[in-house]
Amino acid sequence: MTPPPAKGARRLTRLALLTAIALTIFLVEAQLPPLTAVPGIKLGLANIVTVYAMFTLGPGDALLILCARVFLGAVFSGQMMTLIYSAAGGLLSWCVLLLLRRLLTREQIWLCSPVAGVFHNLGQLLAAAGVMKTWAVLAYLPYLVPAGILAGLFTGLCAQFLMARLDKLGP
Amino acid sequence: MSRNAKLILLLLVLVGAACAAFVLLRPAGEGTVARITLDGKLVEEIDLSAVTEPYTFTVEGPGGFTNTIEVEPGRIRVREAGCPDQVCVNQGYISDGTVPIVCLPNKLVIEITGGGDSLDAATG
Repeated sequence: MTPPPAKGARRLTRLALLTAIALTIFLVEAQLPPLTAVPGIKLGLANIVTVYAMFTLGPGDALLILCARVFLGAVFSGQMMTLIYSAAGGLLSWCVLLLLRRLLTREQIWLCSPVAGVFHNLGQLLAAAGVMKTWAVLAYLPYLVPAGILAGLFTGLCAQFLMARLDKLGP
Repeated sequence: MSRNAKLILLLLVLVGAACAAFVLLRPAGEGTVARITLDGKLVEEIDLSAVTEPYTFTVEGPGGFTNTIEVEPGRIRVREAGCPDQVCVNQGYISDGTVPIVCLPNKLVIEITGGGDSLDAATG
């Protein structure tokens, strides 16, 4: 299923390349105006890379790319305060992907991403509830869940098509 | 499709539909009292139905930023914020309990107690 892990310089190059791609997508998306008046709704295009890495390179490498992207994304966008929310959402959805990786095959990535999207939003809201010391923020959950499913479906399909093309190139 | 995939797909559709139904069908609320909390502590409680003249006031949160809050008859918004992301300002007016205004950097929450029936109020 998953090709044998690359080693040394090959692995490092691949990780650096994927991190750079994820970071670029993240920063470009951050420049777009908000989609709706409800904060927190976005496509999350950078997660295409996370999902791709999870299924192609494995959970460890996916986590490295995710952490580097979340940290550098906060640094480069100048919003360090968003770090805790991105990290909470990212790590929770990484855990869910870890589980889904065992339940689903490489042909069903489009289905993983919406689940991960929902948990990403859940993680962010829980972090926000902790920071704000109020459960009032959870009022956003009914809006964020359908939005997370739709956004996840989109990024999941992107990752699916991407993988089909990249598989043709060989490892 | 495998059994796992069908199960996950079914769960997703159910959860998504439940949330959409909740958002669309929730009953209209009577709440008109805006509760403004900073860092979990209540700083102001305003009955929006009793407001006749619009006014503004400024609060400073633990993050060191300020939020200028504008109160009008029946609705409330954050007019200016010292934070970089301006999410709370972009959200505009709220007039019911559908969703609160949240300023994450400043730990400010403005919620209207009671229920709400439409997203239109939040999109203002």
